[in-house]
Amino acid sequence: MKGSVLILGILLTLVFGCSKQNNFTEREINLVSPEKISGFDPINASDKYSGNEAGKVYEGLFEFHPLKRPYELMPNLAASMPEVSKDGLTYTFKIRKGVLFHDSPAFTGGIGREMKADDVLYSYKRLADPKLSAKGWWVLDDRIVGLNEWREKYSQAEATDYNEAIEGLKKVDDYTFQMKLKKPYPQFLYALAMPYTFIVAKEAVEHFGKEFLNYPVGTGPFVLPKFDQSSMIVYTRNTKFREKFYPSEGEEGDDKLGLLADAGKKIPLVDKINVYIIVESQPKWLSFMKAKNDMIEIKDVNIQQTLTPENELRPEHKEKGMRLFMLPMLDVAYFAFNHENPIFKNVKLRQAMNLAYDRDGANKLFHENTAFIAQGPVPPGLAGHRKEFKNPYSKLDIEQAKKLLAEAGYPEGKGLPEITIQTRNETVARQQIEFFAKCMDKIGIKISVGMNTWPELVNKVTKKQHQMYTMAWGADYPDAENFLGLLYCPNQSPGSNGANYCNPEFDALYSQATILQDSPERTSMYEKLNEMVALDVPWIFGFNRTDIYLTQAWLKNYKVMEFNHNQFQYLNVDLEVKKQLSKKF
Amino acid sequence: MKENSLWKDAFKRLIKDKMALASLIVVIVYSLIAILASMGLIASDWAKEVGASNLPPSAEHWFGTDIFGRDVLAKVLHGTQIAMSVGLFTALIAIPIGVILGAVAGYFGGWVDDFITWLYTTFSSIPNIMLLISITMILGKGIFAVYIALGATSWVTLCRLIRGEVMKHKEREYVQAAGAIGGGHFRKLFLHILPNVTHIVIINTSLQFQFAIKSEVILSYLGLGVQGEPSWGTMIDDAKLELARGVWWQLAGATMAMFLVVLAFNLLGDALRDSLDPKLKGK
Amino acid sequence: MIKYIIRRLLYLIPVLLGVSFIIFVLFNLVSGDPTAVLLGKNATAKQMAELREQLGLNKPLLDQYFDVVKSAFTFDFGRSWATKQEISQMIIQGAYPSMALTVPAFIISTVLSLIISLVVAFYRGKGIDLFVRFMCIAGVSVSALAYILFFQYFFAYQLGWFEISGFEFGFPDFVPFIALPAIIFILLSLGPDVRFFRTVILDEIYQDYVRTARAKGLSEVIILLKHVLRNALIPIITYVVIQIPSLILGALLLENFFSIPGLGGITLNALNSSDFPVIKAMAILSSVLYIILSLVTDVLYTFADPRVKLK
Repeated sequence: MKGSVLILGILLTLVFGCSKQNNFTEREINLVSPEKISGFDPINASDKYSGNEAGKVYEGLFEFHPLKRPYELMPNLAASMPEVSKDGLTYTFKIRKGVLFHDSPAFTGGIGREMKADDVLYSYKRLADPKLSAKGWWVLDDRIVGLNEWREKYSQAEATDYNEAIEGLKKVDDYTFQMKLKKPYPQFLYALAMPYTFIVAKEAVEHFGKEFLNYPVGTGPFVLPKFDQSSMIVYTRNTKFREKFYPSEGEEGDDKLGLLADAGKKIPLVDKINVYIIVESQPKWLSFMKAKNDMIEIKDVNIQQTLTPENELRPEHKEKGMRLFMLPMLDVAYFAFNHENPIFKNVKLRQAMNLAYDRDGANKLFHENTAFIAQGPVPPGLAGHRKEFKNPYSKLDIEQAKKLLAEAGYPEGKGLPEITIQTRNETVARQQIEFFAKCMDKIGIKISVGMNTWPELVNKVTKKQHQMYTMAWGADYPDAENFLGLLYCPNQSPGSNGANYCNPEFDALYSQATILQDSPERTSMYEKLNEMVALDVPWIFGFNRTDIYLTQAWLKNYKVMEFNHNQFQYLNVDLEVKKQLSKKF
Repeated sequence: MKENSLWKDAFKRLIKDKMALASLIVVIVYSLIAILASMGLIASDWAKEVGASNLPPSAEHWFGTDIFGRDVLAKVLHGTQIAMSVGLFTALIAIPIGVILGAVAGYFGGWVDDFITWLYTTFSSIPNIMLLISITMILGKGIFAVYIALGATSWVTLCRLIRGEVMKHKEREYVQAAGAIGGGHFRKLFLHILPNVTHIVIINTSLQFQFAIKSEVILSYLGLGVQGEPSWGTMIDDAKLELARGVWWQLAGATMAMFLVVLAFNLLGDALRDSLDPKLKGK
Repeated sequence: MIKYIIRRLLYLIPVLLGVSFIIFVLFNLVSGDPTAVLLGKNATAKQMAELREQLGLNKPLLDQYFDVVKSAFTFDFGRSWATKQEISQMIIQGAYPSMALTVPAFIISTVLSLIISLVVAFYRGKGIDLFVRFMCIAGVSVSALAYILFFQYFFAYQLGWFEISGFEFGFPDFVPFIALPAIIFILLSLGPDVRFFRTVILDEIYQDYVRTARAKGLSEVIILLKHVLRNALIPIITYVVIQIPSLILGALLLENFFSIPGLGGITLNALNSSDFPVIKAMAILSSVLYIILSLVTDVLYTFADPRVKLK
């Protein structure tokens, strides 16, 4: 035991000296990714976090304005918004001149060359390459004239021929190209702002081969020579970044918040970004509290540590200058019924279960009352969601629930088998179902939890081997189509309609609405769709959650953004404030 | 009989050793709690909401309440049932496999031995955690999957120990003598040799028991543990999110409960070894 | 001796066949279809079918098993399904942080346990023996998860003695990051180590040769260090060496909570995403290590005890 004390002592002295100090001289920002990053190939950047990392290095033709709300697209690598033909099918794009790829050994002489129309076409073809089975293929699947045929043709061949002409992807000159759609695709430009359609250089793809995912060569504001799968990613400023400036207008009130202080300045505004990968919630929170990170996404239990019961920032954080950001997310969390199961064809049972779910209780326990009760599939903030619409089944009414359950043929739950809800093997997911089970127990319905790894859950859903499952769907782009599609019959498993819900009336209207451009007519159709399906309760509607972010006082220009992979170039750091406040940590 | 006096002797020494006696009592108390809980006599109302969410310990609720306002003490007691059953069923699965395979391999030698050695080398060369996870995944999770996964991984040590011991005994005079008066293989192995290696089984079991209880926590952390009812593992798993907001009692309750019984099994295992192992006998 | 080593190395073949078989059966049963996960939330049925073909999941089972066996002997594991990274690269990348944590912790805990065991064996039956053993066993009776949660909160955050999480490559840069998890590792291994070493040492203390030595008037300390320790080395070596493969895999929980980018995390991720090639590689790697190390153990015996002859 004496020995152990001695060695412990040696270890401790070794360590005290080298616990690292915060940096006050370098213009750097420190961020956290709560999930491991597997690589930097944009065509596979399917989740928010890999998109965020790819977005520091790569760019797409369009991006969302960092300040304006509702979300507004603006040209990024494109020189302007495209010209669209009268039939809405042919798009002519002009791209920006003088955009350089990062320096890389892939290029002759190691110097990045200018990006041209060929690169854009190459990148889009790559997304369709059958050999790569890209996660992002769905954004172009069945959209572009000739692209599916091209993909089909090479799916059995040895190698894919990128030189073969495709009717829908045509170069006009070095800075102009045309894309031809099969049918109207109103969300098309959103697709060209997603990480999947970021522009890559052919030389880099060929030079690095399968290792391309570790050597990102983009046109973006930051440079990462090599990704080494460690728990820290360090980006440095792209010194050859084109003339791009901080926007000089934003949403009303942005001025007062100081978000326009850097208006007109050349971006990026910092020299370095460090991204730490921290999966567990305790170290993530503790690191932020030690000022090791400049920003943290607040989830689940950390909400209570952040907010007072009145949903304001707790005084101990305020005192350190921390700032709170809250914004309703474009998402919906729900419990889906499997409509192929005859039990759930019974609408009264579905209504009864909806009415017995104590959403207020769940909101308090799991979201500290920061979430909003979902009234239908379309979340607030999107055209198609009407504030006035209140779903009569998204409230707690045990008496009515019991009555409906009896009418459904299961008085007090008699005759109803135990229902298993499948979910991910995460603590909070388990607790949420435990809570739901308690609610259902009040009307006599027995619920059990099925915990799954992500692949298992996906498998059960795609193979329709489930009774119910939980899901939270986040918007891919700001359009209600992305949510309504979750209930569209042709999308049923293995598609995104995991509930296998089919409603011919809904389907007919949906296929009419989704080919329309944004217009009051389409909005009213979306509203009708949303409310029609809400009353039929194909799911147990849960919540539209709120994004909560906490930032340190020295992080400037931050504004919550749903599609934020391009946001980091606009951030700034105030080193004076950081130095002053450091004593408080 | 020879064995009889050995056991009596060992038991006497065990009783004399105060620490071992205390451990034995702890184990018995836990077993009683587990039995009573499984009969629904105590902690059957663990699912009941008894107060507000996350109340700190008080005279009314000794270990406070959890996120749903359930009594943590009741959950700890119910968890005792899970923990003890995990230990018990793991042992029930591992002991027959380990003893039979080990004994057969040690006794017969030759290709039988080769095959069984190959089998346990193969099993022990795959990292335990991988086997545990994959088996629980295949069996669709839940407590039975935990029993089987732990049973399937913990027979290996026992098998190796028994094999070695049986090999030693095989050459001893009393076995030779039994052979000379016409005892068959079965008789020799099961009536003569096995009773002499029982101490290994007992010592090993007391250690496996605590290993199983601890493994349940890890499996629960990975989301592969017991589902739909509280276990110490799920309670500690909950705590990983609660500790930072100052809710320490769930972690403390489950950790304390686990600490006591694991400690008791460890000490008991040591004491058993000291009193049963013929090599250490009387020294 | 050479013959023996060759024969033991040949033993790798049946074991690897067995390992491949177990892994193959377990994981083909677990998640027959990884494609839905690999393609993300908007996958189409057609795309899934294409990917199945590409991954070779439509091949006859026997062929698929043969592929596993092949990679077990060639060590060519290909690329991960989930991350698309080269597996050998992932392993090399992950082995460094894992070993930076486990190797020093393992060495310290082994040496420390040996010292403690000698001390308690010397004072066997006395108060200090009971107390130290009790403390070691008590230390290992706490769940690893509880240690992690509490130590990270208290020592790293409240007292600020250690880094909360993360890892930096290169010595001594990684020291502040691995120190706390290493201490937890040591606390958790001290108990079983001391218990085992003490038993082994006591086994020897009661042998006849010790009595003879004592009769010759040698001091107890010398007997303990010179004779007893030497003879106790064989079981100690076995015990120690057999643990080494698990060091390579890292300490899964510790790595996850302290954000150490090691092999434990890689394995866990692979298990969580049905990433069969990575699981296969990790299992095969650790069983090869296991076999080779048990061979090393046997060879070490001959040095520890010249009476041992390898047949």
